[in-house]
Amino acid sequence: MKRTVLAVLGMVALGLAMLQPAFAQTKGTVYYLVPTLLDEFQTGSVSALELFLKQVGYKMETLNADNKTDRQQSQMNDVIALKPKAIILAAVDFNALKPSVEKARAAGIPVVEFDRQITSTPSDFTSVAGTIEIGHIAAEQAQRLLKEKNGDVKGKVLQVLGDPGDPYTLDIQKGFEEKMKAFPDVEIISLPALQWEASNAGTIVADQMLANPDIDLIFSHAAHLSVAGVASLEAAGKKPGDVMMMSSNGAPVGLDLIRKGWLNVEVEQPLYAQAAAVAMFMDKIVNKQELKPGEYDVLGLKSTLTNEAWGPNLKIPGAAITKENVDNPAFWGNLKPPTDTIKPVE
Amino acid sequence: MNPRTRRALEFVLDHLVWFMLLFVLVVFSLFIPHYFQLGIFANIIEASSVLGVMSIGLALVIIAGHMDLSVESVAALSAMAVGILFCSAGIGIGLDIQPAWLMVPISLLIAIIVGGLIGLSNGYFIVKMKMDAFIITLASYIWVRGLVLAISGGRSAQDLAPAIRWFGIQRLLGLPLTAWIAIACFVAFSLLMAKTPFGRHLVMIGGNETATFRAGIHVKRNLIIAFMLAGAIAGLAGWLLTIRTSGATANLGIGLLFNAFAAVVIGGVSLKGGVGALPGVYAGVLLLSAINTAINLMGLPANYTQVIHGLLVLAAVLLDSFKQTLRLKLA
Repeated sequence: MKRTVLAVLGMVALGLAMLQPAFAQTKGTVYYLVPTLLDEFQTGSVSALELFLKQVGYKMETLNADNKTDRQQSQMNDVIALKPKAIILAAVDFNALKPSVEKARAAGIPVVEFDRQITSTPSDFTSVAGTIEIGHIAAEQAQRLLKEKNGDVKGKVLQVLGDPGDPYTLDIQKGFEEKMKAFPDVEIISLPALQWEASNAGTIVADQMLANPDIDLIFSHAAHLSVAGVASLEAAGKKPGDVMMMSSNGAPVGLDLIRKGWLNVEVEQPLYAQAAAVAMFMDKIVNKQELKPGEYDVLGLKSTLTNEAWGPNLKIPGAAITKENVDNPAFWGNLKPPTDTIKPVE
Repeated sequence: MNPRTRRALEFVLDHLVWFMLLFVLVVFSLFIPHYFQLGIFANIIEASSVLGVMSIGLALVIIAGHMDLSVESVAALSAMAVGILFCSAGIGIGLDIQPAWLMVPISLLIAIIVGGLIGLSNGYFIVKMKMDAFIITLASYIWVRGLVLAISGGRSAQDLAPAIRWFGIQRLLGLPLTAWIAIACFVAFSLLMAKTPFGRHLVMIGGNETATFRAGIHVKRNLIIAFMLAGAIAGLAGWLLTIRTSGATANLGIGLLFNAFAAVVIGGVSLKGGVGALPGVYAGVLLLSAINTAINLMGLPANYTQVIHGLLVLAAVLLDSFKQTLRLKLA
């Protein structure tokens, strides 16, 4: 009995020892609060941020909110108590996290907004491609595709949103429809795939292709929804190119679909550049130094830092991925992280 | 009341959910543009195949007086296992087996075994260790989904081997083979429940476990088999889900559990156990699918789907009480 108890205690001690933070890091720990790990962009953001922050001397810990606002709020409270060097936040809900951001900053912990902009309260740094801007780029591409097919910007577009409770998809929809408003001959049918679940998107595509067989373009708000859309089209006897398709976020699956000829355009969120920018500015953010507005080169992308009401905001341009440029290693969907080491901004 | 009227009334009461289905199909066909076409009806049956198969397993356990909250996550894990092994893009390793048709039984077997093992573990804790089914299967619901995330790393697998994907593309009498698989499952398990001692014992256990035990029936063994079957059937649902979406994502099947519960309740299965038949459950699944399709075609915000599902479950429970009252009067 004594031996068993000792063995159990030994294992617990070993386990606890493994849980101790690595003190070898020179500059301290940064926490990344990721909204979910159920999508490829988010899992990609974890590895990219970890990689780049390590290059500039920070250790990163990640907490997953499982798309639950209340969980992310609790995580913020817990992390504030740990007094990290900084918190990187990709908010589940842009507005609900405002009090938590204020609490962290009041406690002297800098807060960096990653990918999802919070404009209702100041942050120490924001690195985004802009969800509304992604909608704008998608709209420009939709206009091009419709013009190429129909001779003018006219036709029918099926827009498959993500979960209707997710502000991320609502912002893309807003940006897309804002730019498409100028073209009254374009009919947009918008339907949400509940919980971003792929088979829901597949059902929407299958039903709509029967009800509206003249749909010219399907725009899904994430590449994995396009995969299910393709499966439905395939089941309906369609071939690549029969219906134009487009999606956003630049995930590896989207790039595969471009190569196979199903997808015409994937609007990329510049994941690597967004993450690299956080690492480039981290020293200045942690030391509470001024971030100078202007143009910065982030992994070859010209990015603009402006001082907004919500703090320094770095906007990195998204890109349209087509068959012509799909193999460009700069796109995160090709899963080839940059080999050059990130240098902190002087 | 003459015997003929009584018989007619009892028939209607016994098949109320089918009449409801017929009613909504007629109403939607009359009032929703493009609804009345064979392709849409085929879509309704096809879209209900995954939910339908999952509901069978759930119904078995509920009829036996328990519940299984893990079926959704089990389906996702089976789907991910098949996706990783037999998809060639994303995280898929593109396992190549020759002749190619062998991939069908092997992938199916893997999905069923994965599900069956989790079902067996649920059954062991609930029946042998006498732990609460709600808590044990809730725990499985959480850890199994976590396992999906862990083995996939949040990434997805696509491009399912054509030999398996074939079931989602090939059609027989206008329906994809996946839909026929779901229909075959309903027929087989309806027969199992109605015509075999095992099925009748499950109903008896759900009605009164102690009395069934005293009647000399192996209650524990039957219950463990029921949980194992629920897991294995959820595994089959996961296999169908992979085929339907030509791959697997970490959030695949999310939300199916509540729809499965809704279908089972609408289908006339009592949550108290001991009452219910699988054909009614299939009608419940088709009813939900018919409503989803209507919402898709009407372009209503998807939130309405949940409102309508909730109201339908409420209506089904109210109808069930009404049925019981009417039956008492008829008796």
